[in-house]
Amino acid sequence: MNLSYRIYHVFVRNLISYKRFVLTTFLVSLVQPLFYLITFGIGMGAYMTGAFGGKSYLHFLVPGVIVSSVMMSATFECLYGTFVKMIHERLYDALVATPVSAEDAVAGDIAWASFRGLISGSLMLLVAAVMGILPVSPASVVLLVLVMLITGVMFGSLGMIVTSLAPNFDFFNYYTELVITPMLFFSGVFFPLDNFPAWMKTLAQFLPLTHAVAISRAAFSGVFTSGLLLNFAVVLVLVTIAFYFGIRRMKKRLIK
Amino acid sequence: MSTLVSAHALTKKYGTFTAVDGIDFEISEGECFGFLGPNGAGKTTTVRMIHCVSPVTSGTLIVDGLPASVNNRALKKKTGVIPQEITLDIDLTVYENLVVFARFFDIPKREARARIAELLKFVELEAKRDSKIDQLSTGMKRRLLIARALLNRPKLIIADEPTTGLDPQARHLIWQRLRQLKTQGVTLILTTQYMEEAQQLCDRLVVMYQGKILKAGEPRGLIESEIGKDVAEIRVPADQDARLIADLSPFACGHERVGDTLYFYSRDGHDLRKRLVELDLPNTVHRPATLEDVFLKLTGRSLIE
Repeated sequence: MNLSYRIYHVFVRNLISYKRFVLTTFLVSLVQPLFYLITFGIGMGAYMTGAFGGKSYLHFLVPGVIVSSVMMSATFECLYGTFVKMIHERLYDALVATPVSAEDAVAGDIAWASFRGLISGSLMLLVAAVMGILPVSPASVVLLVLVMLITGVMFGSLGMIVTSLAPNFDFFNYYTELVITPMLFFSGVFFPLDNFPAWMKTLAQFLPLTHAVAISRAAFSGVFTSGLLLNFAVVLVLVTIAFYFGIRRMKKRLIK
Repeated sequence: MSTLVSAHALTKKYGTFTAVDGIDFEISEGECFGFLGPNGAGKTTTVRMIHCVSPVTSGTLIVDGLPASVNNRALKKKTGVIPQEITLDIDLTVYENLVVFARFFDIPKREARARIAELLKFVELEAKRDSKIDQLSTGMKRRLLIARALLNRPKLIIADEPTTGLDPQARHLIWQRLRQLKTQGVTLILTTQYMEEAQQLCDRLVVMYQGKILKAGEPRGLIESEIGKDVAEIRVPADQDARLIADLSPFACGHERVGDTLYFYSRDGHDLRKRLVELDLPNTVHRPATLEDVFLKLTGRSLIE
Protein backbone atom coordinates (compact mmCIF):
# COMPACT_ATOMS: atom_id res chain seq x y z
CA MET A 1 0.00 0.00 0.00
CA ASN A 2 1.72 3.12 -1.22
CA LEU A 3 -0.48 5.63 0.64
CA SER A 4 0.43 9.22 1.50
CA TYR A 5 -1.02 12.56 2.59
CA ARG A 6 -1.79 13.16 -1.11
CA ILE A 7 -5.12 11.44 -0.46
CA TYR A 8 -6.12 14.87 0.79
CA HIS A 9 -5.13 16.51 -2.53
CA VAL A 10 -7.42 14.08 -4.34
CA PHE A 11 -10.18 14.81 -1.85
CA VAL A 12 -9.79 18.56 -2.49
CA ARG A 13 -9.98 17.96 -6.25
CA ASN A 14 -13.34 16.30 -5.68
CA LEU A 15 -14.46 19.11 -3.42
CA ILE A 16 -13.62 21.74 -6.07
CA SER A 17 -15.46 19.81 -8.77
CA TYR A 18 -18.42 19.22 -6.47
CA LYS A 19 -19.63 22.81 -6.46
CA ARG A 20 -21.09 22.27 -9.92
CA PHE A 21 -23.24 19.37 -8.72
CA VAL A 22 -23.94 20.34 -5.17
CA LEU A 23 -27.58 21.32 -5.58
CA THR A 24 -28.68 18.33 -7.63
CA THR A 25 -26.92 15.85 -5.38
CA PHE A 26 -28.37 17.45 -2.26
CA LEU A 27 -31.82 17.00 -3.75
CA VAL A 28 -31.18 13.40 -4.79
CA SER A 29 -29.64 12.55 -1.43
CA LEU A 30 -32.72 13.90 0.30
CA VAL A 31 -35.55 12.63 -1.82
CA GLN A 32 -35.21 8.87 -1.50
CA PRO A 33 -34.73 8.64 2.28
CA LEU A 34 -37.38 11.30 2.75
CA PHE A 35 -39.70 9.14 0.71
CA TYR A 36 -38.97 6.22 3.06
CA LEU A 37 -39.59 8.34 6.14
CA ILE A 38 -42.92 9.63 4.88
CA THR A 39 -44.32 6.42 3.38
CA PHE A 40 -43.03 3.87 5.89
CA GLY A 41 -42.61 6.15 8.86
CA ILE A 42 -45.80 8.14 8.83
CA GLY A 43 -48.02 6.14 6.46
CA MET A 44 -47.26 2.60 7.62
CA GLY A 45 -46.13 3.62 11.09
CA ALA A 46 -49.70 4.66 11.90
CA TYR A 47 -50.66 0.94 11.98
CA MET A 48 -47.78 -0.02 14.23
CA THR A 49 -48.44 1.92 17.39
CA GLY A 50 -47.26 0.23 20.55
CA ALA A 51 -44.87 -2.12 18.80
CA PHE A 52 -41.73 -0.11 19.48
CA GLY A 53 -41.65 0.31 23.21
CA GLY A 54 -44.38 2.90 23.19
CA LYS A 55 -42.54 5.15 20.73
CA SER A 56 -43.64 5.79 17.16
CA TYR A 57 -42.32 3.70 14.27
CA LEU A 58 -40.44 6.79 13.06
CA HIS A 59 -38.16 6.47 16.10
CA PHE A 60 -37.24 3.00 14.94
CA LEU A 61 -36.93 3.94 11.30
CA VAL A 62 -34.81 7.14 11.44
CA PRO A 63 -31.48 5.65 12.66
CA GLY A 64 -31.62 2.95 9.97
CA VAL A 65 -32.58 5.29 7.15
CA ILE A 66 -29.72 7.63 8.06
CA VAL A 67 -27.03 4.97 7.68
CA SER A 68 -28.68 3.47 4.62
CA SER A 69 -28.61 6.88 2.92
CA VAL A 70 -24.88 6.98 3.72
CA MET A 71 -24.57 3.55 2.14
CA MET A 72 -26.39 4.65 -1.02
CA SER A 73 -24.41 7.87 -1.52
CA ALA A 74 -21.02 6.27 -0.94
CA THR A 75 -21.92 3.30 -3.15
CA PHE A 76 -23.04 5.37 -6.12
CA GLU A 77 -20.06 7.71 -5.83
CA CYS A 78 -17.59 4.83 -6.10
CA LEU A 79 -19.56 3.01 -8.78
CA TYR A 80 -20.69 5.59 -11.31
CA GLY A 81 -18.53 8.52 -10.19
CA THR A 82 -15.31 6.54 -10.19
CA PHE A 83 -16.15 4.62 -13.36
CA VAL A 84 -16.71 7.87 -15.28
CA LYS A 85 -13.44 9.30 -13.99
CA MET A 86 -11.57 6.12 -14.81
CA ILE A 87 -12.97 5.18 -18.23
CA HIS A 88 -14.64 8.23 -19.75
CA GLU A 89 -12.51 11.07 -18.44
CA ARG A 90 -9.28 9.08 -18.02
CA LEU A 91 -8.59 11.20 -14.99
CA TYR A 92 -6.86 8.44 -13.07
CA ASP A 93 -4.31 8.14 -15.90
CA ALA A 94 -3.42 11.79 -15.41
CA LEU A 95 -3.32 11.44 -11.63
CA VAL A 96 -0.92 8.52 -11.49
CA ALA A 97 1.56 10.37 -13.72
CA THR A 98 2.03 12.88 -10.86
CA PRO A 99 3.48 12.05 -7.41
CA VAL A 100 -0.05 10.91 -6.49
CA SER A 101 0.02 7.10 -6.44
CA ALA A 102 -2.82 4.89 -7.64
CA GLU A 103 -3.46 4.01 -4.00
CA ASP A 104 -3.66 7.72 -3.06
CA ALA A 105 -6.07 8.37 -5.91
CA VAL A 106 -8.41 5.52 -5.00
CA ALA A 107 -8.23 6.22 -1.27
CA GLY A 108 -8.93 9.90 -1.99
CA ASP A 109 -12.07 8.90 -3.83
CA ILE A 110 -13.15 6.57 -1.03
CA ALA A 111 -12.61 9.42 1.45
CA TRP A 112 -14.69 11.62 -0.80
CA ALA A 113 -17.44 8.97 -1.02
CA SER A 114 -17.47 8.80 2.76
CA PHE A 115 -17.81 12.57 2.95
CA ARG A 116 -20.66 12.50 0.46
CA GLY A 117 -22.29 9.84 2.63
CA LEU A 118 -21.83 12.04 5.66
CA ILE A 119 -23.58 14.90 3.88
CA SER A 120 -26.52 12.69 2.90
CA GLY A 121 -26.79 11.25 6.39
CA SER A 122 -26.56 14.68 7.99
CA LEU A 123 -29.31 16.03 5.74
CA MET A 124 -31.51 13.14 6.91
CA LEU A 125 -30.59 13.86 10.49
CA LEU A 126 -31.73 17.43 9.95
CA VAL A 127 -35.07 16.29 8.53
CA ALA A 128 -35.50 13.87 11.44
CA ALA A 129 -34.69 16.64 13.92
CA VAL A 130 -37.43 18.74 12.37
CA MET A 131 -39.77 15.76 12.95
CA GLY A 132 -38.65 15.76 16.57
CA ILE A 133 -36.39 12.71 16.45
CA LEU A 134 -32.89 13.38 17.80
CA PRO A 135 -29.85 11.52 19.12
CA VAL A 136 -29.94 11.34 22.91
CA SER A 137 -26.92 13.56 23.63
CA PRO A 138 -24.15 15.58 21.96
CA ALA A 139 -21.85 12.61 22.57
CA SER A 140 -24.17 10.34 20.64
CA VAL A 141 -24.14 12.85 17.76
CA VAL A 142 -20.38 12.33 17.65
CA LEU A 143 -20.96 8.58 17.68
CA LEU A 144 -23.43 8.96 14.84
CA VAL A 145 -21.01 11.02 12.74
CA LEU A 146 -18.34 8.41 13.36
CA VAL A 147 -20.58 5.57 12.27
CA MET A 148 -21.61 7.51 9.16
CA LEU A 149 -17.96 8.07 8.19
CA ILE A 150 -17.07 4.42 8.73
CA THR A 151 -20.16 3.29 6.81
CA GLY A 152 -19.11 5.62 3.99
CA VAL A 153 -15.60 4.15 3.83
CA MET A 154 -17.10 0.66 3.96
CA PHE A 155 -19.48 1.08 1.03
CA GLY A 156 -17.07 3.29 -0.88
CA SER A 157 -14.48 0.52 -0.65
CA LEU A 158 -16.97 -2.21 -1.60
CA GLY A 159 -18.02 -0.02 -4.54
CA MET A 160 -14.37 0.19 -5.62
CA ILE A 161 -14.11 -3.60 -5.66
CA VAL A 162 -17.14 -3.75 -7.95
CA THR A 163 -15.86 -0.91 -10.16
CA SER A 164 -12.49 -2.62 -10.50
CA LEU A 165 -14.30 -5.55 -12.13
CA ALA A 166 -16.88 -3.62 -14.16
CA PRO A 167 -16.65 -3.77 -17.95
CA ASN A 168 -19.48 -1.18 -18.28
CA PHE A 169 -22.26 0.61 -16.42
CA ASP A 170 -24.74 -2.29 -16.73
CA PHE A 171 -22.52 -4.39 -14.51
CA PHE A 172 -23.41 -2.15 -11.57
CA ASN A 173 -27.04 -3.32 -11.70
CA TYR A 174 -26.01 -6.76 -10.48
CA TYR A 175 -24.40 -5.23 -7.45
CA THR A 176 -27.10 -2.71 -6.60
CA GLU A 177 -29.98 -5.14 -7.21
CA LEU A 178 -28.42 -8.30 -5.79
CA VAL A 179 -26.36 -6.89 -2.93
CA ILE A 180 -27.30 -3.36 -1.94
CA THR A 181 -31.11 -3.66 -2.16
CA PRO A 182 -31.30 -6.95 -0.21
CA MET A 183 -28.91 -5.44 2.33
CA LEU A 184 -31.45 -2.69 2.88
CA PHE A 185 -34.11 -5.28 3.85
CA PHE A 186 -32.01 -7.73 5.85
CA SER A 187 -30.11 -5.30 8.04
CA GLY A 188 -32.87 -4.20 10.36
CA VAL A 189 -33.42 -0.83 8.73
CA PHE A 190 -37.19 -1.11 8.36
CA PHE A 191 -38.10 -3.73 10.96
CA PRO A 192 -36.37 -5.65 13.77
CA LEU A 193 -34.65 -8.91 12.84
CA ASP A 194 -36.19 -10.70 15.85
CA ASN A 195 -38.89 -12.56 13.93
CA PHE A 196 -36.59 -13.92 11.23
CA PRO A 197 -35.70 -17.64 11.31
CA ALA A 198 -32.36 -18.32 13.01
CA TRP A 199 -30.38 -18.82 9.78
CA MET A 200 -31.52 -15.45 8.46
CA LYS A 201 -30.49 -13.79 11.69
CA THR A 202 -27.07 -15.41 11.36
CA LEU A 203 -26.82 -14.25 7.76
CA ALA A 204 -27.71 -10.71 8.81
CA GLN A 205 -24.74 -10.69 11.18
CA PHE A 206 -22.45 -10.91 8.14
CA LEU A 207 -23.95 -7.84 6.54
CA PRO A 208 -21.97 -4.70 7.38
CA LEU A 209 -25.08 -2.54 7.35
CA THR A 210 -26.65 -4.57 10.20
CA HIS A 211 -23.91 -3.46 12.57
CA ALA A 212 -23.90 0.14 11.40
CA VAL A 213 -27.69 0.28 11.93
CA ALA A 214 -27.30 -1.17 15.44
CA ILE A 215 -24.77 1.49 16.41
CA SER A 216 -26.84 4.28 14.88
CA ARG A 217 -29.93 3.04 16.73
CA ALA A 218 -28.05 3.11 20.03
CA ALA A 219 -27.12 6.73 19.39
CA PHE A 220 -30.83 7.53 19.19
CA SER A 221 -32.12 5.27 21.95
CA GLY A 222 -29.33 5.85 24.44
CA VAL A 223 -29.28 2.12 25.19
CA PHE A 224 -25.60 1.17 25.09
CA THR A 225 -25.08 -2.57 25.59
CA SER A 226 -21.92 -4.65 25.43
CA GLY A 227 -23.23 -5.99 22.10
CA LEU A 228 -22.40 -2.58 20.71
CA LEU A 229 -18.69 -3.26 21.15
CA LEU A 230 -19.10 -6.36 19.03
CA ASN A 231 -20.92 -4.30 16.38
CA PHE A 232 -18.01 -1.87 16.36
CA ALA A 233 -15.45 -4.63 16.16
CA VAL A 234 -17.23 -6.29 13.22
CA VAL A 235 -17.61 -3.00 11.35
CA LEU A 236 -13.94 -2.12 11.85
CA VAL A 237 -12.75 -5.54 10.68
CA LEU A 238 -15.01 -5.46 7.62
CA VAL A 239 -14.07 -1.90 6.72
CA THR A 240 -10.36 -2.73 6.92
CA ILE A 241 -10.77 -5.74 4.65
CA ALA A 242 -12.96 -3.85 2.17
CA PHE A 243 -10.60 -0.87 2.07
CA TYR A 244 -7.56 -3.06 1.50
CA PHE A 245 -9.13 -5.05 -1.31
CA GLY A 246 -10.86 -2.03 -2.85
CA ILE A 247 -7.53 -0.30 -3.27
CA ARG A 248 -5.65 -3.40 -4.32
CA ARG A 249 -8.19 -4.36 -6.97
CA MET A 250 -8.38 -0.85 -8.36
CA LYS A 251 -4.60 -0.55 -8.51
CA LYS A 252 -4.53 -3.73 -10.51
CA ARG A 253 -6.95 -2.22 -12.98
CA LEU A 254 -5.23 1.18 -13.15
CA ILE A 255 -1.57 0.12 -13.32
CA LYS A 256 -0.80 -2.25 -16.15
CA MET B 1 26.40 15.35 -22.25
CA SER B 2 25.35 13.06 -19.45
CA THR B 3 22.83 10.28 -19.88
CA LEU B 4 19.36 10.90 -18.47
CA VAL B 5 17.60 7.70 -19.48
CA SER B 6 19.17 4.35 -20.20
CA ALA B 7 17.43 1.11 -21.00
CA HIS B 8 18.94 -2.33 -21.35
CA ALA B 9 17.00 -5.36 -22.56
CA LEU B 10 13.85 -3.47 -21.55
CA THR B 11 10.83 -5.74 -21.89
CA LYS B 12 7.12 -5.34 -21.25
CA LYS B 13 4.67 -8.19 -21.42
CA TYR B 14 0.91 -8.17 -21.01
CA GLY B 15 0.13 -11.80 -20.29
CA THR B 16 1.55 -13.66 -23.27
CA PHE B 17 1.69 -10.58 -25.49
CA THR B 18 5.08 -8.89 -25.70
CA ALA B 19 4.57 -5.15 -26.19
CA VAL B 20 8.22 -4.17 -25.82
CA ASP B 21 10.76 -6.81 -26.72
CA GLY B 22 14.16 -6.34 -25.08
CA ILE B 23 15.13 -2.91 -26.37
CA ASP B 24 18.23 -0.84 -25.58
CA PHE B 25 18.58 2.92 -25.85
CA GLU B 26 20.17 5.89 -24.15
CA ILE B 27 18.82 9.42 -23.98
CA SER B 28 21.16 12.32 -23.19
CA GLU B 29 20.28 15.33 -21.13
CA GLY B 30 18.96 18.23 -23.17
CA GLU B 31 18.20 16.36 -26.37
CA CYS B 32 14.92 15.62 -28.08
CA PHE B 33 14.63 11.88 -28.51
CA GLY B 34 11.92 10.37 -30.67
CA PHE B 35 10.17 7.03 -30.69
CA LEU B 36 8.78 6.56 -34.16
CA GLY B 37 6.50 3.78 -35.23
CA PRO B 38 3.06 2.71 -36.36
CA ASN B 39 0.19 2.06 -33.94
CA GLY B 40 0.94 -0.83 -31.65
CA ALA B 41 4.71 -0.62 -32.14
CA GLY B 42 5.34 -0.29 -28.41
CA LYS B 43 6.19 3.45 -28.30
CA THR B 44 3.58 4.44 -25.74
CA THR B 45 4.28 1.38 -23.60
CA THR B 46 7.98 2.32 -23.56
CA VAL B 47 7.41 5.92 -22.49
CA ARG B 48 4.84 4.83 -19.90
CA MET B 49 7.58 2.75 -18.29
CA ILE B 50 9.93 5.75 -18.41
CA HIS B 51 7.49 8.00 -16.60
CA CYS B 52 6.74 5.33 -14.02
CA VAL B 53 3.09 4.51 -14.64
CA SER B 54 3.69 1.03 -16.03
CA PRO B 55 5.89 -1.58 -14.34
CA VAL B 56 8.88 -2.99 -16.19
CA THR B 57 8.54 -6.74 -16.84
CA SER B 58 12.27 -7.37 -17.23
CA GLY B 59 15.49 -5.59 -18.12
CA THR B 60 16.69 -2.35 -16.59
CA LEU B 61 15.44 1.19 -16.98
CA ILE B 62 17.33 3.97 -15.22
CA VAL B 63 15.98 7.52 -15.27
CA ASP B 64 18.12 10.30 -13.81
CA GLY B 65 20.10 7.78 -11.79
CA LEU B 66 17.07 6.01 -10.35
CA PRO B 67 15.37 2.80 -11.41
CA ALA B 68 11.97 3.62 -12.92
CA SER B 69 9.18 2.00 -10.94
CA VAL B 70 5.50 2.66 -10.29
CA ASN B 71 6.18 3.73 -6.72
CA ASN B 72 8.93 6.16 -7.61
CA ARG B 73 7.37 9.48 -6.61
CA ALA B 74 10.75 11.26 -6.81
CA LEU B 75 10.95 10.59 -10.55
CA LYS B 76 7.34 11.52 -11.17
CA LYS B 77 8.01 14.79 -9.42
CA LYS B 78 10.55 15.88 -12.03
CA THR B 79 8.75 14.52 -15.07
CA GLY B 80 6.08 16.29 -17.10
CA VAL B 81 3.73 14.20 -19.21
CA ILE B 82 1.78 15.37 -22.24
CA PRO B 83 -0.49 12.37 -22.75
CA GLN B 84 -1.84 11.00 -25.99
CA GLU B 85 -5.42 11.04 -24.72
CA ILE B 86 -7.02 14.22 -23.48
CA THR B 87 -7.04 13.53 -19.76
CA LEU B 88 -8.18 16.95 -18.62
CA ASP B 89 -10.54 17.22 -15.68
CA ILE B 90 -13.81 18.13 -17.40
CA ASP B 91 -15.53 18.93 -14.11
CA LEU B 92 -13.12 21.84 -13.61
CA THR B 93 -12.29 25.08 -15.42
CA VAL B 94 -9.00 25.68 -17.22
CA TYR B 95 -7.59 27.50 -14.20
CA GLU B 96 -8.89 24.94 -11.69
CA ASN B 97 -7.33 22.13 -13.72
CA LEU B 98 -3.94 23.73 -13.22
CA VAL B 99 -4.56 24.59 -9.55
CA VAL B 100 -5.50 21.01 -8.73
CA PHE B 101 -2.47 19.60 -10.52
CA ALA B 102 -0.15 22.07 -8.83
CA ARG B 103 -1.45 20.64 -5.54
CA PHE B 104 -0.58 17.12 -6.68
CA PHE B 105 3.03 18.31 -7.04
CA ASP B 106 2.95 20.06 -3.64
CA ILE B 107 3.65 23.44 -5.25
CA PRO B 108 2.93 26.18 -2.68
CA LYS B 109 -0.20 28.21 -3.46
CA ARG B 110 1.47 31.55 -4.16
CA GLU B 111 4.10 30.00 -6.39
CA ALA B 112 1.42 27.98 -8.19
CA ARG B 113 -0.58 31.12 -8.94
CA ALA B 114 2.41 32.85 -10.54
CA ARG B 115 3.41 29.73 -12.43
CA ILE B 116 -0.12 29.20 -13.79
CA ALA B 117 -0.32 32.80 -15.04
CA GLU B 118 3.04 32.36 -16.75
CA LEU B 119 2.05 29.04 -18.35
CA LEU B 120 -1.35 30.24 -19.57
CA LYS B 121 0.54 32.97 -21.37
CA PHE B 122 3.05 30.48 -22.76
CA VAL B 123 0.31 28.33 -24.34
CA GLU B 124 -1.81 31.36 -25.28
CA LEU B 125 -4.83 30.42 -23.18
CA GLU B 126 -5.08 33.49 -20.94
CA ALA B 127 -8.45 34.41 -22.42
CA LYS B 128 -9.80 30.93 -21.60
CA ARG B 129 -8.76 30.99 -17.95
CA ASP B 130 -12.28 30.48 -16.60
CA SER B 131 -13.72 28.41 -19.44
CA LYS B 132 -14.93 24.90 -18.96
CA ILE B 133 -12.99 22.18 -20.74
CA ASP B 134 -15.80 21.30 -23.14
CA GLN B 135 -15.74 24.89 -24.41
CA LEU B 136 -12.19 24.44 -25.71
CA SER B 137 -11.16 23.29 -29.17
CA THR B 138 -8.95 20.21 -29.49
CA GLY B 139 -5.93 22.43 -30.11
CA MET B 140 -6.63 24.41 -26.95
CA LYS B 141 -7.05 21.21 -24.94
CA ARG B 142 -3.68 20.00 -26.19
CA ARG B 143 -2.10 23.31 -25.24
CA LEU B 144 -3.61 23.08 -21.79
CA LEU B 145 -2.13 19.60 -21.47
CA ILE B 146 1.27 21.13 -22.24
CA ALA B 147 0.77 23.83 -19.59
CA ARG B 148 -0.26 21.16 -17.09
CA ALA B 149 2.83 19.10 -17.89
CA LEU B 150 5.07 22.10 -17.19
CA LEU B 151 3.66 23.07 -13.77
CA ASN B 152 6.39 21.26 -11.84
CA ARG B 153 9.23 22.71 -13.99
CA PRO B 154 10.11 19.21 -15.19
CA LYS B 155 13.60 18.13 -16.07
CA LEU B 156 12.18 15.56 -18.46
CA ILE B 157 9.11 16.05 -20.65
CA ILE B 158 7.35 13.16 -22.27
CA ALA B 159 5.10 14.03 -25.18
CA ASP B 160 3.08 11.04 -26.36
CA GLU B 161 1.75 11.88 -29.83
CA PRO B 162 1.12 15.48 -28.82
CA THR B 163 -0.40 16.66 -32.10
CA THR B 164 -2.73 13.81 -33.03
CA GLY B 165 -5.94 15.14 -34.49
CA LEU B 166 -4.84 18.78 -34.80
CA ASP B 167 -5.11 21.18 -37.72
CA PRO B 168 -1.83 22.52 -39.20
CA GLN B 169 -1.93 25.85 -37.33
CA ALA B 170 -2.42 24.18 -33.96
CA ARG B 171 0.24 21.62 -34.77
CA HIS B 172 2.83 24.23 -35.67
CA LEU B 173 2.11 26.20 -32.51
CA ILE B 174 2.74 23.07 -30.45
CA TRP B 175 5.97 22.33 -32.31
CA GLN B 176 7.15 25.86 -31.64
CA ARG B 177 6.43 25.53 -27.94
CA LEU B 178 8.21 22.19 -27.71
CA ARG B 179 11.27 23.61 -29.51
CA GLN B 180 11.20 26.58 -27.17
CA LEU B 181 11.32 24.20 -24.20
CA LYS B 182 14.32 22.46 -25.69
CA THR B 183 16.25 25.71 -25.86
CA GLN B 184 15.62 26.05 -22.12
CA GLY B 185 17.59 22.85 -21.59
CA VAL B 186 14.72 20.46 -20.94
CA THR B 187 15.05 16.90 -22.17
CA LEU B 188 12.20 15.92 -24.44
CA ILE B 189 10.98 12.45 -25.29
CA LEU B 190 8.53 12.34 -28.16
CA THR B 191 6.48 9.53 -29.61
CA THR B 192 4.87 10.09 -32.95
CA GLN B 193 3.68 8.44 -36.10
CA TYR B 194 4.06 11.69 -38.03
CA MET B 195 7.39 11.67 -39.80
CA GLU B 196 7.32 15.41 -40.32
CA GLU B 197 6.94 15.90 -36.60
CA ALA B 198 9.94 13.70 -35.88
CA GLN B 199 12.01 15.52 -38.48
CA GLN B 200 10.98 18.92 -37.06
CA LEU B 201 11.75 18.12 -33.45
CA CYS B 202 14.06 15.18 -32.88
CA ASP B 203 17.82 15.24 -32.50
CA ARG B 204 17.92 11.48 -32.46
CA LEU B 205 15.26 8.84 -32.87
CA VAL B 206 14.56 5.16 -32.98
CA VAL B 207 12.16 3.45 -35.34
CA MET B 208 10.08 0.89 -33.46
CA TYR B 209 8.07 -1.92 -34.94
CA GLN B 210 6.39 -4.85 -33.19
CA GLY B 211 8.10 -4.08 -29.89
CA LYS B 212 11.61 -3.91 -31.32
CA ILE B 213 13.93 -1.11 -32.35
CA LEU B 214 14.65 -1.45 -36.05
CA LYS B 215 17.03 1.49 -36.46
CA ALA B 216 18.47 4.31 -34.41
CA GLY B 217 20.15 7.53 -35.40
CA GLU B 218 19.77 11.17 -36.36
CA PRO B 219 16.90 11.91 -38.77
CA ARG B 220 19.20 13.19 -41.55
CA GLY B 221 21.69 10.38 -41.10
CA LEU B 222 18.97 7.75 -41.14
CA ILE B 223 17.48 9.12 -44.35
CA GLU B 224 20.84 9.22 -46.07
CA SER B 225 21.96 5.77 -44.99
CA GLU B 226 18.63 4.05 -45.58
CA ILE B 227 17.30 5.85 -48.64
CA GLY B 228 19.68 8.41 -50.05
CA LYS B 229 18.96 12.02 -50.90
CA ASP B 230 16.14 11.94 -53.42
CA VAL B 231 13.16 9.88 -54.40
CA ALA B 232 11.50 9.63 -57.79
CA GLU B 233 7.95 8.34 -57.82
CA ILE B 234 6.74 7.18 -61.19
CA ARG B 235 3.14 6.10 -61.59
CA VAL B 236 3.28 3.65 -64.52
CA PRO B 237 1.78 0.23 -65.24
CA ALA B 238 3.95 -2.63 -63.99
CA ASP B 239 4.67 -3.95 -67.50
CA GLN B 240 7.01 -1.03 -68.08
CA ASP B 241 9.14 -1.77 -65.02
CA ALA B 242 11.87 -3.72 -66.79
CA ARG B 243 12.45 -0.99 -69.35
CA LEU B 244 12.50 1.83 -66.78
CA ILE B 245 14.70 -0.03 -64.34
CA ALA B 246 17.24 -0.73 -67.06
CA ASP B 247 17.15 2.90 -68.03
CA LEU B 248 17.28 4.52 -64.59
CA SER B 249 19.28 2.05 -62.44
CA PRO B 250 22.66 3.62 -63.24
CA PHE B 251 21.46 6.83 -61.57
CA ALA B 252 19.75 5.24 -58.56
CA CYS B 253 20.90 3.33 -55.50
CA GLY B 254 17.73 1.31 -55.26
CA HIS B 255 14.21 0.89 -56.54
CA GLU B 256 10.98 -0.85 -55.65
CA ARG B 257 7.40 -1.16 -56.80
CA VAL B 258 4.55 -0.59 -54.40
CA GLY B 259 1.03 -0.79 -55.78
CA ASP B 260 0.74 1.49 -58.78
CA THR B 261 4.03 3.30 -58.22
CA LEU B 262 7.64 2.60 -59.06
CA TYR B 263 10.13 4.24 -56.68
CA PHE B 264 13.75 5.09 -57.40
CA TYR B 265 16.10 6.20 -54.63
CA SER B 266 19.31 8.08 -55.29
CA ARG B 267 22.24 9.51 -53.37
CA ASP B 268 22.86 12.26 -55.87
CA GLY B 269 19.57 13.32 -57.38
CA HIS B 270 21.09 15.48 -60.08
CA ASP B 271 21.72 12.80 -62.72
CA LEU B 272 18.49 11.01 -61.95
CA ARG B 273 16.54 14.22 -62.39
CA LYS B 274 18.30 14.97 -65.66
CA ARG B 275 17.46 11.53 -67.01
CA LEU B 276 13.85 11.86 -65.88
CA VAL B 277 13.51 15.14 -67.74
CA GLU B 278 14.97 13.53 -70.86
CA LEU B 279 12.53 10.62 -70.63
CA ASP B 280 9.65 13.08 -70.13
CA LEU B 281 7.48 10.53 -68.31
CA PRO B 282 3.95 11.42 -67.24
CA ASN B 283 2.88 11.20 -63.55
CA THR B 284 6.37 11.60 -62.15
CA VAL B 285 7.37 13.27 -58.90
CA HIS B 286 10.95 13.93 -57.95
CA ARG B 287 11.43 15.02 -54.34
CA PRO B 288 13.88 14.94 -51.42
CA ALA B 289 13.85 11.75 -49.36
CA THR B 290 12.05 11.98 -46.01
CA LEU B 291 11.81 9.99 -42.83
CA GLU B 292 8.57 8.61 -44.19
CA ASP B 293 10.53 6.77 -46.85
CA VAL B 294 12.83 5.35 -44.18
CA PHE B 295 9.87 4.38 -42.10
CA LEU B 296 8.02 2.65 -44.92
CA LYS B 297 11.14 0.86 -45.99
CA LEU B 298 11.86 -0.38 -42.47
CA THR B 299 8.36 -1.34 -41.49
CA GLY B 300 6.64 -2.23 -44.71
CA ARG B 301 8.67 -2.97 -47.78
CA SER B 302 12.13 -4.14 -48.63
CA LEU B 303 14.42 -2.61 -51.19
CA ILE B 304 15.47 -4.62 -54.19
CA GLU B 305 19.09 -3.79 -54.74
